[in-house]
Amino acid sequence: MVLTLVGSPISTCTKRVVAVFLEKQVPFKFVPIDFTKGEHKAPAFMEKQPFGQVPYLDDDGYIIYESRAICRYIAEKYADQGTPLFPTDLKAKGLFEQAASIEQSNFDVYASKAAYEAVFKPNLGLVTDKSVVDSLIKQLEQKLDVYEQILSKQKYLAGDELTLADLFHLPYGALLPAVGSNAIQERPNVARWFNSLTERPSWKAVKDGIVVTA
Amino acid sequence: MVLKLYAAPQSTASLRVAQVLHEKNVPFEFIPIDLRAKEQKQAQHTEKNPFGQVPYIDDDGFVLYESRAIGRYIALKYAGQGTAGLIPDQSDIKALALFEQAASSEFANFEVHAAKIAYEKLFKVRLGFPTNEEVVKGAIDQLNVKLDVYEGILGKQAYLAGSELTLADLYHIPFGTRLYRAGLGGLIDSRPNVAKWFNSLLARPSWVTIKDGITSTA
Repeated sequence: MVLTLVGSPISTCTKRVVAVFLEKQVPFKFVPIDFTKGEHKAPAFMEKQPFGQVPYLDDDGYIIYESRAICRYIAEKYADQGTPLFPTDLKAKGLFEQAASIEQSNFDVYASKAAYEAVFKPNLGLVTDKSVVDSLIKQLEQKLDVYEQILSKQKYLAGDELTLADLFHLPYGALLPAVGSNAIQERPNVARWFNSLTERPSWKAVKDGIVVTA
Repeated sequence: MVLKLYAAPQSTASLRVAQVLHEKNVPFEFIPIDLRAKEQKQAQHTEKNPFGQVPYIDDDGFVLYESRAIGRYIALKYAGQGTAGLIPDQSDIKALALFEQAASSEFANFEVHAAKIAYEKLFKVRLGFPTNEEVVKGAIDQLNVKLDVYEGILGKQAYLAGSELTLADLYHIPFGTRLYRAGLGGLIDSRPNVAKWFNSLLARPSWVTIKDGITSTA
């Protein structure tokens, strides 16, 4: 039975997962959820995803949620096909986990909140608090200064090979211009790294919304 | 060469790593970093952890930072000793994915909110800055929603990834205990399944040994 991804065509976390499906050349069925109708809070949905969030994966009855966990599962299950996204050596794995943790605590924390404040709130009819956005971007910029250093010595965040940790940055990194921040492009090594990610066919295929392959 | 842990004796992330070292019976030398003197921002430290944070480890020349990454590295390297299954075996990719789901949840659904409370009500106060009560209220509201979900999950299984303890459970302890310090232990205590789970984690010898401060074991 083909993998089923239940998500929203425009959601950042759904795009994060679909990009990895494409990198690993894994066919999947996409079941779109309509936020405006509150479908993600319906009992049938919350039975599978108790936090009422998108996306979740149904692999022939086996359910996984949390986009990064889904990505890791796909990368493990289909390790032998498509782009290698996970190291196998112990020390390389340690450096991969370091990079994955950096993405969560030193990037996503600021970038996702800034995106919510500046981009999603207006879509929901709420008012952006610009001082909140400015503070988050300022903190993000301090972290990106460290990224600039790291990426001056190596091609990707975990070393010289692409890993999931790099790809995890795509959805919110790509939204920064809409937030009003040019922080990535202002830093040469960060820009080089990030642009190499956005140029990948897997990202180009999802950046404007999700299409189905199976 | 014995593993070196460069950390602050009571910092949340430092405690997170120290607990895993104890669970896996890995001897380590503790080198205290003085946060009040901003030692973590000095060149000698940022050369190893460019984000200027604690902790980092030096495992015979192999340097790693980010507490959750260090915990995973230790659990993988010493898979054959100490507490088993802190990360499920790679041969069972479904169990591994359920662990990753729980680990992702720990950060995105718990720490994000608990850390805000700790920052506003403990860290800022210690430094003499005023607490932003609106931020605290927002974080409490979010945690209430998330912990209701935890209550449901833990009503069906003993731990967050299934029937076995994993790193995903242990990683909640440092900021979980901070909630009590901030006078908000009720968030956990008011939910029977969550309380039972959390108290079982606190009772583990690995936590009892380090909760008042990290010390070298080698």
